Amino acid sequence: MYDIIDALLNRALGFGWPGWVIALISHLAVTTLLFVIAPLQMLFLTYYERRAIARMQDRIGPNRVGPAGLFQPIADGVKMFTKEDIVPAAADKWVHFLAPCVVVAPTMLMFAVLPWGPGMVPVDLSVGLLFFFAISSISAVGLLMAGLASSNKFALLGAMRAVAQMVSYEIPAVLSLLAVVMLTGTLSVVQVIEAQAGLFISRADVPGIPDLGLGWFIFTPVGFLAFVVFFIAALAEGERTPFDIPEADSEIVAGYMTEYSGMKFGLFYLAQYVLNFLLCAIAAVIFFGGWQGPGVNWLYAQAISPANPDGNWVFNVLAGFLGVFYLLAKTYAFFFVMVWVRGAFPRLRVDQLMDFGWKFLIPLTLVNIVSAAIWVALLRWGPEQGITFTQNWAPVLRWGVAFVVTLAVNVGAYIALARIFAAAQAGQGRIDLDEYRDTLTATLR
Amino acid sequence: MTAAVPLEAVLVVAGALFCIGLFGALSRRNLVGVLMGIELMLNAVNVNLVAFWRYLEPRFITGQTFAIFIICVAAAEAAVGLAMVIAIYRNWLTVNADAVDSLKG
Amino acid sequence: MATVIQIIFGLIAALVVGAAVMVVTVRNVIHAALWLIACFFGVGALYMLLEAEFLAVVQVLVYVGAISILILFAIMLTRQVTGEGVRQLVGGWRLWLTAAISALLFAVAIVPTIISHAWNLPAPPGPPGTPEPLDGVAELGRAFVYEFLLQFQVAGVLLTVALIGAIVIAFEERARRRRVLTLAEEHELRKRLAQPAPMEAPAGEPAPAPRAAPISEGEAQQ
Repeated sequence: MYDIIDALLNRALGFGWPGWVIALISHLAVTTLLFVIAPLQMLFLTYYERRAIARMQDRIGPNRVGPAGLFQPIADGVKMFTKEDIVPAAADKWVHFLAPCVVVAPTMLMFAVLPWGPGMVPVDLSVGLLFFFAISSISAVGLLMAGLASSNKFALLGAMRAVAQMVSYEIPAVLSLLAVVMLTGTLSVVQVIEAQAGLFISRADVPGIPDLGLGWFIFTPVGFLAFVVFFIAALAEGERTPFDIPEADSEIVAGYMTEYSGMKFGLFYLAQYVLNFLLCAIAAVIFFGGWQGPGVNWLYAQAISPANPDGNWVFNVLAGFLGVFYLLAKTYAFFFVMVWVRGAFPRLRVDQLMDFGWKFLIPLTLVNIVSAAIWVALLRWGPEQGITFTQNWAPVLRWGVAFVVTLAVNVGAYIALARIFAAAQAGQGRIDLDEYRDTLTATLR
Repeated sequence: MTAAVPLEAVLVVAGALFCIGLFGALSRRNLVGVLMGIELMLNAVNVNLVAFWRYLEPRFITGQTFAIFIICVAAAEAAVGLAMVIAIYRNWLTVNADAVDSLKG
Repeated sequence: MATVIQIIFGLIAALVVGAAVMVVTVRNVIHAALWLIACFFGVGALYMLLEAEFLAVVQVLVYVGAISILILFAIMLTRQVTGEGVRQLVGGWRLWLTAAISALLFAVAIVPTIISHAWNLPAPPGPPGTPEPLDGVAELGRAFVYEFLLQFQVAGVLLTVALIGAIVIAFEERARRRRVLTLAEEHELRKRLAQPAPMEAPAGEPAPAPRAAPISEGEAQQ
C-alpha cells in the first residue's frame, strides 16, 4: 500500500511529501479498510450460514427481508442496536462492560497479519504466525471476565467450560502450525505463502518446478495431517458444533453470554463470526497457499512492488483482485465445511471434548512434528548437518522418499493412536456395580 | 530506540516495577495477590534483561534467551503455586495468608 | 522521530507502572488480576519497542494468554464464602513498614546505582539513521539448539515436572467425585440388579456401554 500511495501522490500527482506522511496515510487507509471489511464479512457469513444450514435441514432460511433475504443481517443488526441493554444489579459494572470489548478487540487485531494478496499485508511481522495465535488467546480472558462479572452461576460455569475448551484446543492448533513452520523455516505469514509457489510440489522443496501457484502444503503428508488437526482445533476455538458447549442453549442457557443483551451480545456474536472467518482464512493461508493460485505471481511480477518500483499499476489491481478472489474462495469453502459439520454432527459432551483434545489430537501433532523433522532432514539437509546419504540424489528422488516415509509415519501413527484412544474411551464406560448399588436399589420398583 | 531513550530510563522503570511487586508480595493478604506480586517482580527482571540485551550486547542473543527461560520458570512456578493455593483452599476454606498459620511457632 | 519514540516510551512506562500500582492496591482481587493483565500488555509493548519481537509475542501468549487465565481460575475457585469484607492488605504498621522498605529500596539502592554507573554503551555500527543488525527469531532458535541446548532441555523437564506436580497437588480423589450416570447406563444397571444372571451388553449400546465387574454376592440376595 505504501508503494501504491507513494506512486500515486509523489509521482503521478507530483506532491513531494516526505516518507512518514505517506506511511501515515497508507496505515490509516489500511486500518479503515480493515475496520470496514471485518463487519461486512461477519454480516455475509451470518447470512451464508443461515441459508446453508437451512438447506441442510430441509428448510429455506431467511428469504423475506430483501431479495432472497439478503438484508436479513442488516435487520439483525438493527435489532441488536435497539434492544435494551440490561445489566444485572449485582454485576461488577466495569468488568461486565469491558468483557465484550476484550473479546472483540483481538479479532480485529488479528487482521493485521493476514495477507490478502501479493504485497497486500497490513504489517509484515517477522513473527506474524505466532502473533496471530498469541492475540487469539486473549479472547479467553474476555470470556472469563464475562462469566465472573455476571454474578450468575450458569454464566460462571459456562465461562469456565468455554475457557477450558479454548485453552485446550490452542495447543493442537499451534503444534500443527509448528510442523509448517519447520517446513518453511520462518514464522512470517508472507514467507509461508511465498514458499507455496509451484505445482503440487512446493518450489522450496524441488527448485525448478513451473510456478502455477499450486505448491500448497496440503499436498504433503505432513501438511495434510496438520491441516486436519488444525481444522478440528479451529472448530473448537471458534466454538462451532460439535464443540459448541459454551453456547448450547439446551444445556447451559447461553453460557457466559447469559446476562448480555443488546449491543453487547451483538459484539460477542460479531467476535465469534469474525474469529471463525479468520481461522478459515489462516487455514487457507498456511495450508492452501492463501492468495497463491494460477496467474497471481505472473501478474505481480509486472506490478508496482518493492522489487519493481516502475511497474504498471494495472497489474497491481489485477493481481490484487485475483489474489483476494483466491483467498476468499478458499476461506468461504472452509466456512461451508464448518457449516456442513454443524448440520451433520451432534454436540460433544464437555469431558469427551477435553479427552479428544488432550489424548488424541496432541499426540497426533507431536508425531506430525517428528515427520516434519524427517521431511526437512531428507529434503533440505546435507553433509554439513550430518546427512550424507542423500548427497547425490536428485531433488525429485529426495522429495519422493520424503513423501513416502512421512506418509507411512503419519498414517501409522494415526491408526495406532486412534486404536488406543478408542480403547481408552470404551474402557472408561466400565462401571462398578457396587458403587451404585445403594442409589439404584433405593429407587428400584 | 537506543538513541532516543537512555538506558537509565528503562532500568528505572524496571526497578520501579520490581519495588511495586515487592510491596505487593509483602503486603497482600490474599495468597493469589502475593503470587501476583511475584509475577510483577519476574516481569521487572525480564525488562531489565531485555534492556541490557538491546543497549549493551545487541549482537548476541543471550539476553533474550535468558528472558525466555525466566518466562518458562515463571509459568512453571505460577502453575504449581496456584495448585497449592487451591489445595489450601480445599482444606482451610480460606486463602487469607494470616489464617493459614498452622506451622507457626 | 526521537521525540515520538520518547513519547511512546513514556506512555508505555506510565501504563506499566500505573497498572502495577493498581494491582497492589485495589480491594477486589479480580480487579487486581485484570490490572495485572494490563501490566503484562504494557511490558509486551515495551519489548516490542526494544525490538525484541519474538519475546513480545511470547510475553502476550504465555503471560496474558495462559498465566492470567490460570490466576483468574484460581481466584474463581477460591472465592471467600464470607464475601469481600475481608481486608486485602495487611493492617497498620506492617503496611507502612513494607511501603517504606519498597520506597527505600527504590530511592536509595536502585536509582542511584543506575544513574551513577558508567554504562559503556557500544558505538552504533554506522552513521546515525542506519538500522542496526539485530538478532532475530532464527538466531534465537539456533541458540536454543546449539549453545543453550542443556538449559533448553532442563527447562523442558522443569515444565513437565511442574505440569505433573500441579495436577497431583490439585487433584481431587475419585471417591469425592461420584460419576453421574446417563439414563441408558442407569437403565442397564437396574436391569442387571433385577436379574440374577449376568447378561451381555446389547451390541447397539451407545458409546459408554457398561461392562460391569462380575456380579458379586449382593445379587444372590435379590
